[in-house]
Amino acid sequence: MGMTAVEKVLAAKSGRSSVKPGDVVSPDPDYIMIHDGVVMGAKRELDALGISRLAAPDKVLMVTDHDVIYGSPRAAERGAFNRKAAAQWGVKNFFDVGRGGHGHIFPMESGLLLPGMFYFDNDRHATNAGAIGAFGFRMGSEISRVLATGTNWVMVPKTVQLTLKGQLKPGVHARDVGFHFAAMLKQEKLTADLDYRVLEYAGDLDQFDLASRAALCSTPTEIRAYGVFVPPSKAILELAKSRAQRPFIPVYSDVDARYDANLTLDISQLEPQVSLPGSVENAVNVSEVEGTVIDHAFIGSCGSGMWEDMTAAAAILKGRRLAPNVRLFIAPGTEATNRRLAAEGLLGIFIEAGAVMLPPGCGPCNDAVIGPVHSGEVSISTATNNNAGRFGARDAKLYLGSPATVAASAVAGKIADARKMN
Amino acid sequence: MSEFAWVLKGRCYKLGHDVWHAGGVVPNWLITGRHFDAKDIIPHLFEETDPGFHTRCKPGDIIVTGRNFGMGPKMNGYIAMQALGLGLVCETMPFLAYRAAIGCGVRVMTDCVNVTDMCETGDELEVNFRDGFFINHTRDFRREYPPLPDALMEIVELGGNAGWLQQWQTRRAAASVS
Repeated sequence: MGMTAVEKVLAAKSGRSSVKPGDVVSPDPDYIMIHDGVVMGAKRELDALGISRLAAPDKVLMVTDHDVIYGSPRAAERGAFNRKAAAQWGVKNFFDVGRGGHGHIFPMESGLLLPGMFYFDNDRHATNAGAIGAFGFRMGSEISRVLATGTNWVMVPKTVQLTLKGQLKPGVHARDVGFHFAAMLKQEKLTADLDYRVLEYAGDLDQFDLASRAALCSTPTEIRAYGVFVPPSKAILELAKSRAQRPFIPVYSDVDARYDANLTLDISQLEPQVSLPGSVENAVNVSEVEGTVIDHAFIGSCGSGMWEDMTAAAAILKGRRLAPNVRLFIAPGTEATNRRLAAEGLLGIFIEAGAVMLPPGCGPCNDAVIGPVHSGEVSISTATNNNAGRFGARDAKLYLGSPATVAASAVAGKIADARKMN
Repeated sequence: MSEFAWVLKGRCYKLGHDVWHAGGVVPNWLITGRHFDAKDIIPHLFEETDPGFHTRCKPGDIIVTGRNFGMGPKMNGYIAMQALGLGLVCETMPFLAYRAAIGCGVRVMTDCVNVTDMCETGDELEVNFRDGFFINHTRDFRREYPPLPDALMEIVELGGNAGWLQQWQTRRAAASVS
């Protein structure tokens, strides 16, 4: 019996010839990531146990992306604490304010995270690693055990395969695929349990660049997938090789690998999607909600913060102004993308349109620490999810769309189909 | 380790399907307020569905649930269950809820098919979490279910992740001295 990609990676990192779903292993990770919001808790927990030395400080990636510009004295205190913690722990890969950007994007962009790798993360959006053909597993508060010992127990997850058939029409984005997939599951037009599964894509994947693959990883995470894997195309491997900071070996599932379910989705006729307030699963064609007046818009997050997401937004915003009733926040995923936006003139397009630029990182997608909504307001964004309260007020109405849909809506002042603006 | 009580004998407290951690197990304000001290949580365990539960339950009692128990990967309620000495037997749990229960040192079994059909609240139960036996003395029958994996037993025996890490550190310190 063959193995799926995640089984192969977990076997290799655990020193085993093979593993199967349900096995408990303790993999040796390539990296251990912890973000700015949880360093304080982990440090205090370990200090209380007398653990001052980390197992593998050279593997640790400490990232400031959740609360970058300190909107409160408490945030500033946390930032100071984190800097002291990095020094005490001997963490050299400390990507502090203005040094890296979103932890689930810049490691792929910069050639740190490469195909076939495995890492532990405190955050569930580590699933983004699947965009480059790697795996990141969420540990939550158990990241302290990983920091102390270098590993933690992992039960090998089952894998669900989703085969995408057809080419997306112009103006349809990879985020639309994720929204539609979630809706198909909710409506029971597709049947699979994603709880603690790896969702592995197959089929017509060459059309998806790295940013689109990150977008493909986003929505399954919100419907309980523990990992997402997009088998690297030739183009992705070339990209990875051009940026790689160390050698890597890509991993693919065996042809006789066993899947928990095999699903197929025809994406050739897909229309741009909008997820209605409450859940990513509430996706409908944009035509069903066109004209809904909005107050707030946001482009960014780990699902839609890469260069290509920014260019999709800029194509709409170029030469246009935001509607007077709308405030638009844009958070590029990384410092590198931010610099490129400036160098290639996109920053000017955004500012001329009236958008407010946020620092690279999570933006309002993290507990609305910046750019929140008020009670009763209506927002459309590329955030990872639109659960009640995601941007602050629980009674605000939060819609989701692709970067192009959000940009077009911000210009129109109401939810709009970007294809009509091109 | 051999003296750890893997077998619990007590009364059944039966719940249905799709119980959210927030609201169903403990009030949401305990979660958002980041309350992790057992003494703060215990008075509110199952408060919204069964006020006063903590005054009636006894160590050894078993919570038996339907599918999807503990949705939302939170740990607050499991901290209280562990401190009260309760066991947990579920038809299914989201994996991260199962992981959270183990991490808090709760004696737990999941994937116990149709277990809610085999008991009612108040029945006298005996559950062996190490070997996977479920016995209903009131109704006089016994079932076998998947026990906790061997590799995870030590975490529960040590009271959860904090206890496990404490022992790991103690052993490491002792090794460095010797």
